[in-house]
Amino acid sequence: MNENGSFLKRFRKAFDPEGPLARLGPMYEALESVFLARPRFTRNAPLVRDSLDVKRYMMLVILALIPHYGFGVYNVGRQALSAAGRAPDFFPALFIGLSAVIPIIVVVFGVGFAWEVLFAAIRRHPISEGVLVTCTLFPLTLPPTIPLWQAALGISFGVVIGKEIFGGTGRNFLNPALTGRAFLYFAYPAQISGDGVWTLITDGRTVPVDAFSGATPLSVAGGMDRLQDIHGILLDSGYTLSRLLFGLYPGSIGGTATFLAILGAAFLVLLGIASYRIILGCILGLVITAGTLNLLAGPESMPYLSLNPLYHLFMGGSMFAFAYMATDPVSSCHMQGARWIFGFGIGALTVLIRVFNPAFPEGVGLAVLFMNLFAPLLDEIEIKARLKRRVPNV
Amino acid sequence: MLQIKKGYTLRAAGVPSLNLERREIPKKVALVPHHIPFVKPRLAVQEKDAVRTGTLLFTDKHRPELKFRSPGTGIVEAVRFGPRHVLEAVVIRLDEKERHESFAPVSDAALETMGKADLKSRIQDGGLWALFRELPFRNIPAGTTDPPGIIVSMGTGEPFEPHPSVYLNDAAALFRFGMRVLQKLSEHVAVVLPSEYAVPSILEEAVTHGVSGNYPCGDAGVFLYRTRTDPNQNRTWTLHGQDLLLLSRFLQEGRYPTQKIVVTAGPEAQDPCHVMVRLGAPLRHIARTSGNGRAHRFVVGGVFTGYPASGEDYLGFHENAVVVLPEDPTPEKWALFKPGYQKPTYSRAFLSRLNTRRLPVDTRYHGEERACIGCGYCTDVCPVDILPQFTYKAAVIGEMEEALAHGILDCVECGLCSYVCPSKIDLVQALKSARADLYREDVRR
Repeated sequence: MNENGSFLKRFRKAFDPEGPLARLGPMYEALESVFLARPRFTRNAPLVRDSLDVKRYMMLVILALIPHYGFGVYNVGRQALSAAGRAPDFFPALFIGLSAVIPIIVVVFGVGFAWEVLFAAIRRHPISEGVLVTCTLFPLTLPPTIPLWQAALGISFGVVIGKEIFGGTGRNFLNPALTGRAFLYFAYPAQISGDGVWTLITDGRTVPVDAFSGATPLSVAGGMDRLQDIHGILLDSGYTLSRLLFGLYPGSIGGTATFLAILGAAFLVLLGIASYRIILGCILGLVITAGTLNLLAGPESMPYLSLNPLYHLFMGGSMFAFAYMATDPVSSCHMQGARWIFGFGIGALTVLIRVFNPAFPEGVGLAVLFMNLFAPLLDEIEIKARLKRRVPNV
Repeated sequence: MLQIKKGYTLRAAGVPSLNLERREIPKKVALVPHHIPFVKPRLAVQEKDAVRTGTLLFTDKHRPELKFRSPGTGIVEAVRFGPRHVLEAVVIRLDEKERHESFAPVSDAALETMGKADLKSRIQDGGLWALFRELPFRNIPAGTTDPPGIIVSMGTGEPFEPHPSVYLNDAAALFRFGMRVLQKLSEHVAVVLPSEYAVPSILEEAVTHGVSGNYPCGDAGVFLYRTRTDPNQNRTWTLHGQDLLLLSRFLQEGRYPTQKIVVTAGPEAQDPCHVMVRLGAPLRHIARTSGNGRAHRFVVGGVFTGYPASGEDYLGFHENAVVVLPEDPTPEKWALFKPGYQKPTYSRAFLSRLNTRRLPVDTRYHGEERACIGCGYCTDVCPVDILPQFTYKAAVIGEMEEALAHGILDCVECGLCSYVCPSKIDLVQALKSARADLYREDVRR
């Protein structure tokens, strides 16, 4: 620890207001404050302040996301080994996964942090921790085959257009990570959709072995002909409910691990970081909408209509987005009642986009962004209703 | 029993014991107008003047009937001004022998027949009118108005404040006399006692309302918010239970009161306890620091509502507590990663939620200022159901109509919104200054 102290002290001078790197002062402060909390004292009431700050708030979200990285690394390698026709052994899978995921992480954090430092230096504000959460979430939503320049472009769009142009963390109205993800989706659909992108092809091959199908459960369910039994077809492709729950299938780097997302959601709710109202609202909206579609489904209708709500919940990144994206406090609703509606809307839209819009196999990202747009309106409605109940005091 | 579900009780270390200590008479006392709300002093004395206990020191420029009197006998040693010539303190070096200005005492029987106007003018003349505060601005009420009700607050539930069981001990007769005074002024007098406190058993019947819950459940503004049925009640008056004793003592004895019971508390205070002190005593005289040489700071009033001061400052007119908090300037290493079993928090982000002991509090911000992230803690904690995160934004940009609709006037300035904010935004300061603007506008009208 002392090492760190003197190490930092030596570099500190350069970032002083008179130092050569004064403009990068916020970057130094941000790095230092990870190790060392310099006290700032209260000067007016209340004279005491809570121990919680935004740094820890955001760090706990990152902590909850770390298991997804562990899972994602393993799963990427495991799918790549299957596609190459090799046994999915642990250590080779880990190696392949790391070599695919680490470059993405490095690029995303490097580019995202660079934008934040640039804006902080020009606008002379401190670096906000929000960018680290954005950079942690973003790679988990990407396919492992994403070209690195696209990852850089995506995080740039997410950080700059999704957040910085509005004034930085706390002033954005869209989830920055999802904004970047949606940008990539619409700008480069070839690299981020279809069955081919979700599995890494290794061993010098260009196509996977015949026995391997790279189809994700979402594309299987979406690409089904009429009169087929959707649960049977999913089962034929190897997608049982428990496999969907544990997420060991081709997909985004960490988003398929529904069980980890459930644990992460429980962790964040327990610590009071994520709103249980949003998460339960999402799940309710998804289950009720999917259940209603089940009731509407006739023998002639699309097989997707009759998909069990649990499949909707477990497959793809729905639970991941509910746990970490929908609960972003900045871009979600701020009122407790509105949070239920906000969540419900996300869940319902997820199902509707998946089922009725074959162009978007995974609807949850767009559903979250769409409800982000409605969040201020929902808040406003609840505030208006609440203010009516007050005994006036003017 | 009225239940206040919101609010927050800070389990801070250094709470005062119920022991009552007495301090010898200090060398100096002072009257500190600086923190009496909305008062513009016009001095009635100069340096070197000899004053008795109860001699007029200053009046309010706009309201000459609002008088402030000397808490001691001696020589005016200093008249201290702050920036922009704001009167900060009138310091009096005490003489050995105490002489009192005399006022006509009011007997039990005389009170019975006394008219309301007569009673008011006696209190005003005695320099104790400022003990009354008018909601919602907590200004000192105009002498000519009649209150829609009076709320006697026995304590708010702050971690560091005098317990009614101590300051009401042996004061039952005074308290009853005070109640009769208040009943002369208004038909509706409520005595509000938080459930964590007790009053001497002979005074139990005097308590009209029990409240239970977190700080600030015993605050008059919170009580009014929860019980009022009509906007006419918004201008209810309030005073503290102990101030009622000062008032009755003055009326009964015909002398300006000189003593009250305050607490000395906080992690750095030696033997936190109740202390019987001279009004306007120096802080270092009231609170003894633990003397371990660590940096510390005095706080006058509670940690949520008080103001910082040095040990050489003096006890304010309305304040009941002197808290000593640590102010350690050494940076904390790896603070971000500590599980925080010892860190007090409203959130659930530290292990201290499992710790049932009282935890050390200090004057650190515990973080840097950030933009509001919409966590909603301030809304969860606000005892009067304001939406601080929206209300403060409306107040900061000057949307007063919106802020008023949000109930900014119901704000009791308890400070909890600022306390819980992880972005370290000074919400309550924004609300306070907007409220002060509204008050000035209100007075001009």
